[in-house]
Amino acid sequence: MMSKCRVEITRRTLLRGAGVTLALPWLEAMVPSVVRGAAAQASPIRMAALFMPNGVRADQWTPEGQGTEFQLSPTLEPLADLKKELLVLTNLWNQASDFGDGHYVKTSGFLTCTTINKSLGIDLNCNGVSMDQLAARTVADATPLPSLELATEPISIGVDRNVGYTRVYGSHVAWKGPTNPLAREINPQLVYERLFRAGLPQTVNAQRDRQLLDLVLGDASDLRQRLGVADRQRIDEYLQSVRSLEQRLERASGDSASEWSPLVPFAKTPQPTTGIPSQYQEHVRLMLDMIALAFQTDTTRVCTFMFGNAVSGRNFSFLEGVQGGHHQLSHHQNKEEMLRQYQVISRWHVQQYAYLLNKLRQMPEHDGSVLDNSMILFGSGLRDGNGHNPHNLPILLAGRAQGRLAVGKHLVFGNDTPLANLYVSMLNAFGAEVERFADSTGPLAGVWNSSA
Amino acid sequence: MNWFRAYSVLTLSIGIVSGTLSAAEPEPLSPTAAIQMVSHYCADCHSEDAAEADLNLTRFATYEAIVSEPELWGKVLRRVRSGEMPPPDSEVLSGSDRDRLVDWIQTSLHTAACGDGVSPSAARLRRLNRNEYAATVRDLLGIHVNVALEFPADGAGGEGFDNAGETLFLSPLHAEKFLDAARTALEHAFRDQRAREQLITAEPNQDLSPDAAAKKVLAGFLPRAFRRPVSQAELQKYLGLFQAVYQEERSFTDAIQFVFEAVMLSPNFLFLFEEPNETGKPVLLTDHELASRLSYFLWGSMPDDRLFQLATKGELNSNHVLDEEVARMLKESGKVRSFAESFVEQWLGTRALGREFKPDPTVAKRYDSELEGGMKYEPVFFFEELLIKNLSLLKLIDADFTYANRRLARHYRIQGEFREQPRRVELPPASHRGGVLGMAAVLAVSSYPHRTSPVLRGKWILETLLGDPPPPPPPDVPELPEAELGGAVLSLRDRLEQHRQDATCASCHDRMDPLGFGLENYDVLGRWREKSNGHPIDAQGELPDGTKFNGPAELKLALLDRKDQFARHLTAKMLGYALGRGLSNEDGCVVDEIVDQLKKHDYSTHPLVFGIVKSVPFRYKQGTDPAAAAVQADAKLVVPEQESE
Repeated sequence: MMSKCRVEITRRTLLRGAGVTLALPWLEAMVPSVVRGAAAQASPIRMAALFMPNGVRADQWTPEGQGTEFQLSPTLEPLADLKKELLVLTNLWNQASDFGDGHYVKTSGFLTCTTINKSLGIDLNCNGVSMDQLAARTVADATPLPSLELATEPISIGVDRNVGYTRVYGSHVAWKGPTNPLAREINPQLVYERLFRAGLPQTVNAQRDRQLLDLVLGDASDLRQRLGVADRQRIDEYLQSVRSLEQRLERASGDSASEWSPLVPFAKTPQPTTGIPSQYQEHVRLMLDMIALAFQTDTTRVCTFMFGNAVSGRNFSFLEGVQGGHHQLSHHQNKEEMLRQYQVISRWHVQQYAYLLNKLRQMPEHDGSVLDNSMILFGSGLRDGNGHNPHNLPILLAGRAQGRLAVGKHLVFGNDTPLANLYVSMLNAFGAEVERFADSTGPLAGVWNSSA
Repeated sequence: MNWFRAYSVLTLSIGIVSGTLSAAEPEPLSPTAAIQMVSHYCADCHSEDAAEADLNLTRFATYEAIVSEPELWGKVLRRVRSGEMPPPDSEVLSGSDRDRLVDWIQTSLHTAACGDGVSPSAARLRRLNRNEYAATVRDLLGIHVNVALEFPADGAGGEGFDNAGETLFLSPLHAEKFLDAARTALEHAFRDQRAREQLITAEPNQDLSPDAAAKKVLAGFLPRAFRRPVSQAELQKYLGLFQAVYQEERSFTDAIQFVFEAVMLSPNFLFLFEEPNETGKPVLLTDHELASRLSYFLWGSMPDDRLFQLATKGELNSNHVLDEEVARMLKESGKVRSFAESFVEQWLGTRALGREFKPDPTVAKRYDSELEGGMKYEPVFFFEELLIKNLSLLKLIDADFTYANRRLARHYRIQGEFREQPRRVELPPASHRGGVLGMAAVLAVSSYPHRTSPVLRGKWILETLLGDPPPPPPPDVPELPEAELGGAVLSLRDRLEQHRQDATCASCHDRMDPLGFGLENYDVLGRWREKSNGHPIDAQGELPDGTKFNGPAELKLALLDRKDQFARHLTAKMLGYALGRGLSNEDGCVVDEIVDQLKKHDYSTHPLVFGIVKSVPFRYKQGTDPAAAAVQADAKLVVPEQESE
């Protein structure tokens, strides 16, 4: 093997040299958005998106009435206690996902509002970036983890030859870049450990660890230079991955521009110790607890959670009166017996959402509760599982984002108002100034609190 | 059985699909005759004016027009071959004419795609997947723990496997996992006396400085970790890290352990890397690259010492060494099992067991982890035996043996002594087992959690065994009507029959449902049953070509009638697995060649494995001209013998 004589490149020169071509997100995020320390500072704003597969029973979803005067529908009834914290958004649609077959386009496109490439793998591309990741970029340097991706089901196996998509698409809503879906953690115990250690990396000797990472990054850049354009992307993903470890080390050893310590000690939340619970309900609750813990401690400010993967056939027979899998029941054929069960399942998901909201509401911060400083999205990529269409999506938003959101309303928009408009409003409320996102036509009227 | 010796010197001419030219068969069609035949039998429904299924076949007036749309004609080929087209109510296409037309379409498509040789794909770069990582760390360090259990699962791409480079992306999460896993693994290795001795090949003493000892250790470890020789510069880099750490810590072992950690975080370890080919034309992989392709194909792990030595001597690329090595590799039963497991679980979809598929407790009261284990490993152990003993691939459709553990044997009502670990068992007559269609795991993952579905099982057979998946149902078409007629609750069969009254539904369900009904004697978990809900099971089915069967035994015979289609699909799957990517049209040429060999060798398993290993896409990497073929028109798709023998 030929050895190339090369001046040793340190990690810092590498980054300087490669920054332009790599367009690394962390470089865009170098300006800390929140300076810590002063007690009078506002608490950080957090954003989470909860994805539910397979849509909802359409005739039991939309509330009666508009504005502040509205009656919760049977499916939304578990939110009765949270009505004043809630926005029910009617008539939003995701035009980019009105395409292709089945569920994949509507899952990967849920937070990107783009149309994914039809692909079994080669040319895997969502043609955009998910809104949570845009948000994460603006605060990436402020917390140990730029974002947290959670789910309950492992990535679905195989490719779907019937429709010509790899199931990777059906297992991801968070996309860091067009070809970079983010791996999800499904084990609550590992999530806890990850959160805990992210803020306090285990290191015997930070200086030594940094030398190790420098060497690894050097190897990666050497390899990168020998690759074609397409393959460089993978190495870049790895470079980013290693770099995020290094950032944490820097933060732990006090070298970082932004010092970090948890807003609340971890010890207050019991640590899940049993791995993945066999009961789905318990599993979901623990994952939602982890979102609450991550937000409360400020280990991250951005989180996505998938109740299930696209086309999830999860058996919901643990619910009274339900026998069967979620996807199967979502194809209800307008049969009352199936519709009834379908609704019970949708309602159960709303209940879990209410659980998270309540939990966040019960976490005080000096200027309100964590919920007051958050915005928590809940929704599905299609409305009615029987029809697979992305018109009038079931979408809820809760939390006040520090008074920026005009909660406590049912907003009914004109038919087919872009879902992306909501994301523009949310990103702006989060502090990520954006004028447009995907097919947006502007912010969503009525979502912002005009008096804020 | 030295069949592979013979195979390696075979010269196959391109453009001739075996079986089409043997003396006993009728004269092949001329292009004109074939086009006339299509016009005569198909134009009534598939012309410009009446384009059923949006298909106008009259616009194809020449051979060139036909071969310019291989995907469309591939579909036509499958429909005509299966007997679905022309449909029963149209003019009858006689059996021999049907065969001639099928052969003509097949030969034409093959010749057009393959006549000028095959272009391989570019040098590849892909990360080790979760299973490969675990196995590689195990072999590299000589430990016996799986340190990747906490990694996120990998998605699948290409032909449906999680080793496809295109879907092995990386997230920030991965570096954390790699670091944790490396630390854990190294702690195990350095605590274990034997593993440690293998790794720490030198220690400093009076005659050996710490630097010199570290150099010796790293010179042994780095090439194994990177699966190739390393340069002096690379060695120096890692030695530099050792020196920096040793200066502070003064513990030789600790410093070495720390450097190993760096090695295991290097992309040179984590990625399978092939040097890009800068020339215009395809070139053979280097010997070390080939060693890795072989070992990750057949073992799911790194090359062993022998492969590494052969590569270093530059001998691996010679055909007879390759033959000997593949034969040797297939005898390493422990390692072959990881291939069998990874391939079979993903091909058959049985990996879904306990994940995407969990039976409803009401229909599976006694489902426990031992039963699930027995179900999960039955197809794996079975396939492992086919590989090791070079048995016929058709045993996947029907066989007189299987593997079962204690719980599974009871599940199957097979008598004998069993333990928790599955063992081989000869099947008594009328056991209702034998072949994958009698395996509980297969029958479960093609069911709903609480009931069987002839539609899902039929779809499973079409997709998994025959490689001919039906298209998805059009939007707003119910998956399965639960219709009631005059108050009477209809049986599943009646409901499906009613469903098929609708011509749109029938076009696919006529293919799917009968196959699934043939398996109705198996319940959700694959237990044999004579009745369901008090009604006797009706396991009759009729395929679109008129083939009738009753029950699984006859269904298997109907599938054996389509053994070439089965063999072709299985070949494509395994080639896709071996290459770690989706297949191209030209890869289809290689598949055709290998299937030819399979037919000549009673569908034995080794010709499949050896055929893949010897193929152009497995052994070459493409250069800068993406269209350049590895071998020219007069040569073959398998790699020619280089030495004169």
